[in-house]
Amino acid sequence: MMWLSSGFIFRKGTSWYHRLDPRVKLLISALMFVTALIVRSVFQLVIVLAFMVVVAAVASVLKRVARTMVLTATFSAFIFIINLVFTRNLGTSALYASRFVAIVVSTSLFFITTSPDELEQVMKTFRLPRDVVFAFVTAVRFIPVMMLDALQIMDAQKSRGLELEKGNLLRRVRNMIPILIPLVVNAVVRSGELAEAMESRAYGAVPRPTSLVEYRFRITDKLVTVATVLTFVFATYSFYFLLPTLPP
Amino acid sequence: MIEFRDVGYVHENGVKALDGITMKIDAGETVAIVGENGAGKTTLIKHVTGLLKPTSGTVLVDGVDTRETSTAALSRKIGVAFQNPDHQLFSESVKEEMAFALRNFGFVPDLVEQRVTWGLQLFGLDEYRESSPLVLSGGEKKRLTLACILAWDPAVVMLDEPTVGQDAIQKEKLGGTIKMLGSAGKTVVVVSHDIEFLWPLQPRVVVMKSGRIVADGPAPELMTKKEMLESARVAEPQLVSFYQALTHRPGSPFVDALEARQWIEGGRK
Repeated sequence: MMWLSSGFIFRKGTSWYHRLDPRVKLLISALMFVTALIVRSVFQLVIVLAFMVVVAAVASVLKRVARTMVLTATFSAFIFIINLVFTRNLGTSALYASRFVAIVVSTSLFFITTSPDELEQVMKTFRLPRDVVFAFVTAVRFIPVMMLDALQIMDAQKSRGLELEKGNLLRRVRNMIPILIPLVVNAVVRSGELAEAMESRAYGAVPRPTSLVEYRFRITDKLVTVATVLTFVFATYSFYFLLPTLPP
Repeated sequence: MIEFRDVGYVHENGVKALDGITMKIDAGETVAIVGENGAGKTTLIKHVTGLLKPTSGTVLVDGVDTRETSTAALSRKIGVAFQNPDHQLFSESVKEEMAFALRNFGFVPDLVEQRVTWGLQLFGLDEYRESSPLVLSGGEKKRLTLACILAWDPAVVMLDEPTVGQDAIQKEKLGGTIKMLGSAGKTVVVVSHDIEFLWPLQPRVVVMKSGRIVADGPAPELMTKKEMLESARVAEPQLVSFYQALTHRPGSPFVDALEARQWIEGGRK
């Protein structure tokens, strides 16, 4: 839960990065994501991760990104062990494990610096159906609410003698039933209520509703876009033609 | 029974929720905790069950530091009915919902059955015994959560906003149940904004504001301090307003609302 909260939930920020057009932030994250997938050695991946850390520092979210990296390391260790067992190759296993961290961090950087409203605008620029955009953005917006719900449900059940940490794996999974059922029921009830509230406020009344905020590319956005694309091209060229012989 | 010694609590985001809380609640007392939204009332009761551990100071329950014991162990003594009943109902039937905590505490099947029947009858829910708790109305769900708590007979009963969604008759019944618990020697702590509900109970009142206790005393004394109540965003009971109005009449023989109340309730001056 802390992993989700730290790594994927937007909190208001005043940094220069936060003020960038959301489409530019999406481009930066997408290109970092792609770069993490195309690198061919751990050394190259370390360079990509270092770049992500710099971006996080610029966006003043270094602490949150660092926490995400640490929490992701648990899953990453699992990937490393599984790969090591099946491939018996230390380099490949380390590459896959650290690639997972890089992928999570690149995605996380977008979500923690982009508000749900901005996310909606980004999705609209891709001309996705309005209902799809609304459903996705609402789901993102409700993650913190559901987390709060889950905590309150856990408190209520613990107060009735439920011990979540007690017993073997099977017992622990069974102990989650009193948490999950109210959580799902509440989510379903809330979605029904939300649908009624939206319809009573004229959702879907016109095919193309107007938007309160219109995003326009500023000069800074254009410069950052160009710099991002150039960096990506240079990084890809370097990884394939300048650095491939470096250690894995 | 319950003791707060200079308790402070700071949330992860740095917000101070409790600050310098020192208070003692004796066995058998009925205590109402009132105050504005965000005053720290729910945070305070979560400290008693060990759901939250103080960041400074100590909370003692029967002399045991809540830091040194589990919520499960504390909840055998302390039953808490939280504000939103939808946060705890999950079983297939009302009967099973009530039995959940009893089984967690290791009650034998016969006793479980006995306690379930007692609780359902007490709160007028017996007809829903085999129904799903999810199909009950808001007020019925609230009553079911209270029945679930009372079923295991805890020494301390803590109720967080128990009157939300209850009609006037149910509120009256709930008030009666609280009085009954008090007479049975239970410690009852009620967190509520519903001053009209609290007034007839005549509890000890603890007024909270911004994580601090700003007043602590018997209801007749505190509920007549209009300025103090208003500073904590608590409305005075209508009866107190009536007593106040009596003192403001020209030639009124009453010095204050407390004296007016004593005269009316005693039928003499």
